[in-house]
Amino acid sequence: MQRHEGKSFEVKAEQISKRYFRKTGAANCFFAVKPLSLTLEPGTVTVLCGRSGSGKTTLLHILAGLLRPTEGKVRLGETDIYSLPDKELSALRSRSVGIVPQSRSVLDILTVSENILLPQTLYKTKADRQSAEQWMDTLNILHLRDVRAGELSGGEVRRTAIARTLSMNPPIILADEPTGDLDDENTELVFRCFRQAAETHAAVLIVSHEADALKFADRAFRMDGGVMTELT
Amino acid sequence: MTKRKMFLRMITASLLRRRSRMLIALLSIAIGATILSGLVTIYYDVPRQMGAQFRSYGANMILLAKEGQTLTADTMQKALDVFPEEQLVGATPYRYVRLDMTSRQQSFTTAGTDFDEVQKTSPYFSVEGEYPREDKEILVGKEIADTIGAKAGSYIQLTWRPSVTVNENASDDWIGGAKLSGSAEGFNAGIVVVEAELDDEGRIARLTIDASSQTPEIGGQVGTDKNFQSRFIGKKLPVTLGEDVDAVSGATISSQAVVDALNNAHSITKGTAAAERSGYFSVTGILVTGGEEESYIYMKLRDLEDLTQDKNLDVAELSISANAEQLEKYVSEIDKADTGVMARLVKRVTRSETAVLGKLQALVFLVTVVVLLLTTICVSTTMMAVVSERRREIGLRKALGAPDSSIRAEFLGEGMFLGGLGGVLGALLGFVFAQVVSVNVFGSSITFQPLLLPVTLLMSMLIAAVSCLLPIKRAVAIDPALVLKGE
Repeated sequence: MQRHEGKSFEVKAEQISKRYFRKTGAANCFFAVKPLSLTLEPGTVTVLCGRSGSGKTTLLHILAGLLRPTEGKVRLGETDIYSLPDKELSALRSRSVGIVPQSRSVLDILTVSENILLPQTLYKTKADRQSAEQWMDTLNILHLRDVRAGELSGGEVRRTAIARTLSMNPPIILADEPTGDLDDENTELVFRCFRQAAETHAAVLIVSHEADALKFADRAFRMDGGVMTELT
Repeated sequence: MTKRKMFLRMITASLLRRRSRMLIALLSIAIGATILSGLVTIYYDVPRQMGAQFRSYGANMILLAKEGQTLTADTMQKALDVFPEEQLVGATPYRYVRLDMTSRQQSFTTAGTDFDEVQKTSPYFSVEGEYPREDKEILVGKEIADTIGAKAGSYIQLTWRPSVTVNENASDDWIGGAKLSGSAEGFNAGIVVVEAELDDEGRIARLTIDASSQTPEIGGQVGTDKNFQSRFIGKKLPVTLGEDVDAVSGATISSQAVVDALNNAHSITKGTAAAERSGYFSVTGILVTGGEEESYIYMKLRDLEDLTQDKNLDVAELSISANAEQLEKYVSEIDKADTGVMARLVKRVTRSETAVLGKLQALVFLVTVVVLLLTTICVSTTMMAVVSERRREIGLRKALGAPDSSIRAEFLGEGMFLGGLGGVLGALLGFVFAQVVSVNVFGSSITFQPLLLPVTLLMSMLIAAVSCLLPIKRAVAIDPALVLKGE
């Protein structure tokens, strides 16, 4: 297994597709993602937009190593991630992939700062507190550092999740509707943060409905019925 | 915060946040451990407890003299050396002799024994009055007491006579058709009666033996076996068993009685027989057992020895608190030892003891297994509910890079913690439980077995771990992609 820590590298999806089977109804087999190829390059922000149910989140989970594609391969650098055993894939994800999930993704029993340092505490040898505090400050949640996540508002939870991802300083960032609970001001702030991360050679993919997201994108794609087309 | 601190924090937070669920799981483990610890204590203590109970039903082993040997207080004591002191409940020597009751010209079987030991080996003996304490005191069986009208406080004169009567026709030199009849004690103080007729040269010409008092098929053969009787024909008195005549195989005591009866008759006439002796005895109590003991008189062994001038014993009844296997071992040890004593188990008692103990232990074992099974199901169901509740959290952690092993470790950690805590509670409560059962059912307390604490602890943790297997499987199978989508 290659070590990616501290390095920037591209994510390459090669002819991946995801097919599901329904037990009921006439069309019992459907494609959430139809065969497509995509490369996320270091230092770039890629934005993926599209209607609900178009397959955006499925594609993001496949790229994150969370959902095995029906066909095709996903490579992080030279590594075919789905050929790795669970333990190695988990280790790779904890080191190299930062995910901002669509749903509420904090542990309510922990404080904001503990939530942000959670991946580093559990899966890395040393937590980067300085970086964590820096991102908390940037995202205006530093004053909430000792507040339990269970007591936060939706927007604060969202920014905590983003701060957690950025603090890991991962070479790949995959954000699923990261600005869903945020006002315009914070939405722009978050996009700037992702831009900043890309400038330090991270490959960033943002799934978003926001038209503003396109302003920060190097490349943009639209998904519709599992088919991805590039916006020019 | 270090990884370990975070791990502990998450476990304790998870336990605390689901207090009611965890309390149920903890309670079920504690109850399971209580039953386990309690019943295991009882399981191992039952033989001891029941052994003591069984001993109230009488002796489970007897000692007899080996063929050609005698049983005495000394040889009996040597045989008793094989038993550990704590297992030997009691050892009662018995010597049976027919004594005449002078006033009524009746004779009764009298047993010389040790009354302290009688109370240990035959606790079911019921005495109206008191057991004898001083010399010259006796217990009289209810049947005899009813016949002779004896009661506590009565005095009875008992006489020992050599068991022989001589025909009036007998002449000094025993020549020429003299007839003699005599009797002697055979097995268990049963009287063997002989009648003989001598020829002109003093040789036995004709012999009849009445051995109906002896055990049929064994000692009784001396009366029916014509071959045995024919061995005496042509012999001069006195005769010696083993030299002049051979004993009936397996009936040495009864064969000896025939020889004794003949020789007694001969020696009486020659004027060499022991003189009769008698004494007055005070009745301290009437023995009521509902069994054959009611037709005996009991006196101190020393008093009987004074009368008979004979220190031999017929049998010793032992009450041993041990299982059938140990008893067999002791029997074999005694038989092998060079003491002239052999041991026999009272099979009726030992068999029923073994059967009852076996069933009781099987029942205890079954109950324990069922309770542990129920505990496993209860803990497993609770942990399953916990996994469902924490589905989102588990999915998130997996998305953040948690390998399956860390999810397994956490749930196992929670389970083991519950198991450990429940185990400690259970071990302590189990002792209280066993103590209550023991005191109420068996009427005696038990001692705490320190080894049971780690055993219960380990078993509880093992059960908790087994209970967590299915929930852990569920937790590991959680698809982070689905959870992150909010499904």
